Amino acid sequence: MFEDKSRRRNPSATTMDDEDRRRRHSGAAPVASASPPRLDEAAVLAAYSRWAPIYDWVFGRVFDAGRKAAVEIINRRRGALLEVGVGTGITLPRYAPHLTVTGIDLSPAMLAVARRRVEAGGIATVAALHEMDATCLGFADGSFETVAVMYTITVVPHPDAVMAEVERVTAPGGEAIIVSHFASESGWRRAIETALTPFTKKLGWRPDFPIDRILGRPGFELIETKRLGLFGIFTVARLRRKAD
Amino acid sequence: MIPGESPVTDAAPPPEDRQRGRIDPKLLELLVCPLTKARLDYDADRQELVSRSARLAYPIRDGIPIMLPDEARPID
Repeated sequence: MFEDKSRRRNPSATTMDDEDRRRRHSGAAPVASASPPRLDEAAVLAAYSRWAPIYDWVFGRVFDAGRKAAVEIINRRRGALLEVGVGTGITLPRYAPHLTVTGIDLSPAMLAVARRRVEAGGIATVAALHEMDATCLGFADGSFETVAVMYTITVVPHPDAVMAEVERVTAPGGEAIIVSHFASESGWRRAIETALTPFTKKLGWRPDFPIDRILGRPGFELIETKRLGLFGIFTVARLRRKAD
Repeated sequence: MIPGESPVTDAAPPPEDRQRGRIDPKLLELLVCPLTKARLDYDADRQELVSRSARLAYPIRDGIPIMLPDEARPID
């Protein structure tokens, strides 16, 4: 569904995050399009636009164990860091000053919060924030020593495409740090996950991805996984990029 | 948009170039066209990143490059 993007100018102008699109296209002629809107993406964008003002307050604590573990690993590393799905930039103040951080997100509302956070806090580690689709990254191959993907991979409509791009932009010998929920096969964890489903659905979570589908990439070697948090329903995984 | 959003008022106003969304050209060296992965040219006047290979100009708004083909301006 991505191959013909350049031909479709803003096909979902009336469904995606209306407020932002109106702002962007004010003054431009209305664009008629017969292409169907990207429903998954539109729904997720709309949800994050609504949640942006209170996201940190509601979800900050729930997800904090995973962020903490990931930041600990990341701060031991050097060089350029890409955070995919940087959102409101909740982790940005925690990165060590020797890193050079780039953040991307698809939601302009979330990025606006991140940008204010960076400016208000004078966060010098953050080099740039970009509005980007994680399945279609605007970075050259091997641009980053570290790529972080936190609580994002189960939200996107095409996790395989995201992981392919993460693999591409990670430098040989570099690492991708993935924090996510991965489906438990059985037992009490599965019961908790089932109970949480109506709640997580609201944010576009689809917690049914087997771990192999995300982590089993040819260019990556899985070097560590660790379960986190109160019930261990989140996992932090370290993937090392093989040399080409 | 965030309801009630307004520019930061409790600090000194940001420098003029930041207000106008200009960004460090060094940062742009990292960026390539998301579609073709080819290099981009920075048009400082129009605040756009131009991909000749995809014939698209990606806008920069409030200092944030919008690297989405759907949001880009087709060019000849």
